[in-house]
Amino acid sequence: MADVTVAPREGYGNATLPSLKEQLKLVAWLRWRSLRNGLRSNNRRMDLLGMLVSGLFSSVLVIGITIALFVGTKYIFEEHHEKYLGLIFLGLLVWWQLFPIMLAGFAPQFSFKTLLRFPLNFSTFYLVGLAYGLADAAALAALIWMGAMIAGTLASEPAAVPAMLLVCALFAVLNVTIERLMGAWLEKLLAKRRSREAIFGIFILCMVSLQFLNPILQRHGNEAKQVIQTALPYLWLLPSSFAGDFVARSSEGQWSGALLHLGGLLAYVLVFSVLLCRRYAKLYAGEELSEGASPEPRTKRTGIVEVDDSDTLGFLPPRVGAVFRKEARYLKRNSFLFFSLVIPPLMVFFFSMQLAGARSGPFKRGIPPDMFFPGMMAYLVLILLAPSYNSFAHESRGIQTYFMSPVRFREVLLGKNLMTVVIVFAELLVCITLVGTRVGFPSAPILAATLTAMVFSVMGQLTIANWASISFPKKMEFGKMQGQRNSGMSVFLMFGVQIVLGGISALILFSGRWTGSAWLPAQVFAVLAAAAFGGYFASLDALTELAEKKKEVLIEALCR
Amino acid sequence: MPDIAIATDKLTRKFGELTAVDGVDLQVESGQFFGFLGPNGAGKSTTIKMLTGLLVPTTGRVSLLGMDFAQHPVEVKRQIGVVPEGMGLFERLTAPEYLEFVGRMYGLDKPTTRKRSDELLEFMQLADRSKTLIADYSHGMQKKLALAAAVIHGPRILFLDEPFEGVDALAAGALKELLGRMTERGVTIFLTSHVLEIVERLCSHVAIIRRGRLVAQGSIDQLRAGVPGAEGRTLTLEDIFLSVVGEGADRPQVEELTWLT
Repeated sequence: MADVTVAPREGYGNATLPSLKEQLKLVAWLRWRSLRNGLRSNNRRMDLLGMLVSGLFSSVLVIGITIALFVGTKYIFEEHHEKYLGLIFLGLLVWWQLFPIMLAGFAPQFSFKTLLRFPLNFSTFYLVGLAYGLADAAALAALIWMGAMIAGTLASEPAAVPAMLLVCALFAVLNVTIERLMGAWLEKLLAKRRSREAIFGIFILCMVSLQFLNPILQRHGNEAKQVIQTALPYLWLLPSSFAGDFVARSSEGQWSGALLHLGGLLAYVLVFSVLLCRRYAKLYAGEELSEGASPEPRTKRTGIVEVDDSDTLGFLPPRVGAVFRKEARYLKRNSFLFFSLVIPPLMVFFFSMQLAGARSGPFKRGIPPDMFFPGMMAYLVLILLAPSYNSFAHESRGIQTYFMSPVRFREVLLGKNLMTVVIVFAELLVCITLVGTRVGFPSAPILAATLTAMVFSVMGQLTIANWASISFPKKMEFGKMQGQRNSGMSVFLMFGVQIVLGGISALILFSGRWTGSAWLPAQVFAVLAAAAFGGYFASLDALTELAEKKKEVLIEALCR
Repeated sequence: MPDIAIATDKLTRKFGELTAVDGVDLQVESGQFFGFLGPNGAGKSTTIKMLTGLLVPTTGRVSLLGMDFAQHPVEVKRQIGVVPEGMGLFERLTAPEYLEFVGRMYGLDKPTTRKRSDELLEFMQLADRSKTLIADYSHGMQKKLALAAAVIHGPRILFLDEPFEGVDALAAGALKELLGRMTERGVTIFLTSHVLEIVERLCSHVAIIRRGRLVAQGSIDQLRAGVPGAEGRTLTLEDIFLSVVGEGADRPQVEELTWLT
């Protein structure tokens, strides 16, 4: 066979690497276009509206802290309390490292690692990683707050501004480096689906456990105080202390001490930068983290297995039963949701420690069972009904099955809602027992009123939640935190409906006291519950029609 | 008069200004193995989605087994099986759980569903992965499972969108044999694929869509005869396809990429 040689032509292999500035510009452009294009459809625009509303609330928090930090820094310099600057930096450090984890759900779904397919050099890859961290909402808020601290310094001690500027810049680099490093380590740790889900479950439990810190401190405050006092001297080793002390000492003209602290801060920056560099180098070299590389072993086949063909859900229509069973399996496999079921009883336990009974706490005499019980049940409904406002979130491509099979959508909704009702009922039993044993049962009229109010609220909410799920669907993926949030409109609707229903229920509950008729609320709620029941079943056909009309929106949103 | 399994009447679908499918009139007889071809973006998937109830036509009518889809959606869906573009799997179930779910959704009782599920998993060589979540399956394994789910209720019409994509040669051979036997028993199979060799080997009849319009329909022999200058030549389906859609402005001209050729 004759050798064939093809001479390289002008189009082959002569692409030149763009400059660092050009590459960063391209990445920024990519992120902007992704965000803009993601808002093209109507549903996405409604999402944006919802996000703007929730963004407004967040802005109030950010602006409030900005003003506080400006005033606080100004006061610190005016009153010569510079030693407290370290505490402000400590607050920023804690915020910067912890808040991104809580905000992970709101981040756009874009993995900068995908950029590796392009001819990026390592330094660009590293810088893009840092820039990606700076684009985080928590980081932006922290940068604004550091700006407020610089402004506060300028207003009171202009001579300290250069030191403050230097420290803020170093502190920002350090924080973003630590945050990216933690993110990269977590990404490695969470690459396996099962470990990911288990860790998210533990994370949720830890977050809930934090709520118990205050009651525990109230009981064991003195012992805790001693432990904290022993640990306090070591706080100077933290980067926040180095940052604060450098500014404090440089403003007092103690240059040797100031430089020592600056060195400490620089050492932190260096160590974490080296660690991040090593991690990114592995990613850059093409480290494979997905579990596709290590598939599960095949299960050994055993002989004939006796199977039980009896159907425990035989009392349900087959299709409703099938959807119910599928929902149960999905719940079992969604560690995040599964663990979240533990939260309501834990929180009820926590509230009972804090608010009810005659123990210590803000309410010295404790909230009486007649008030505590309805409050806890309202909380239960609030938490447990929330996922129903985006009940197709985890269906993904499976949503097509509902539209391909000979099933009316009312059966799908019934199956899903039945699962919600079973969960609410089970949690209700646990929480009633908990409240009963810890705080005591409410009077019979309040118990009856609360339970009928729950029926009214659950059925009313399910009707609206079904509509929201069909109209504003948003795909969510199991075991992922990034981008896992309901559509903005769903969140907006959920809060709106819960506030309105909660308000109505509270008014009716209090009407018993105002009128002196203890059973009146229970009677009113019974009528409302019956109406909500009727409304729910009447809505199913209309929602089936709506699902048929909106099926393209549903499929498009969930199959993407 | 032949028994018509699939018929469309001026089927049209618009997305804003774009007309993806434009007045398509299809006629597929019962028991036919029917191939539906077209270049990328021609309107194949949009048509198959309208035929299976995943997309509402802007105008026009779909009739399956003599029943109007819009009038009797549930009854029609009972008779059809679909492997859609994205496969439509619930990835958080295992294969037996998914087949049980689908079987029940199609109204099969539990023992029948279980029996068929076991047999299908065995046939698809997925039985030894029965405890693995679908999310952890390879693309080919997911495809085989989607096929199993599409036939578990014994459909009279089967819609398959790229059914052999990612499936290994061994399983693909068995599947082709299964599909062939199904058509012998009167099942109508409507298949789209970009692999023209597969379509040529399996399908007796073919329709070709281009820019949303049906440009050819009939048996492969009829289409072959319709190609200008076909006399005395043995034309493959690829030749027919290229002559119908590939000639003229539609066909990419390699010579235009001067920097590569």
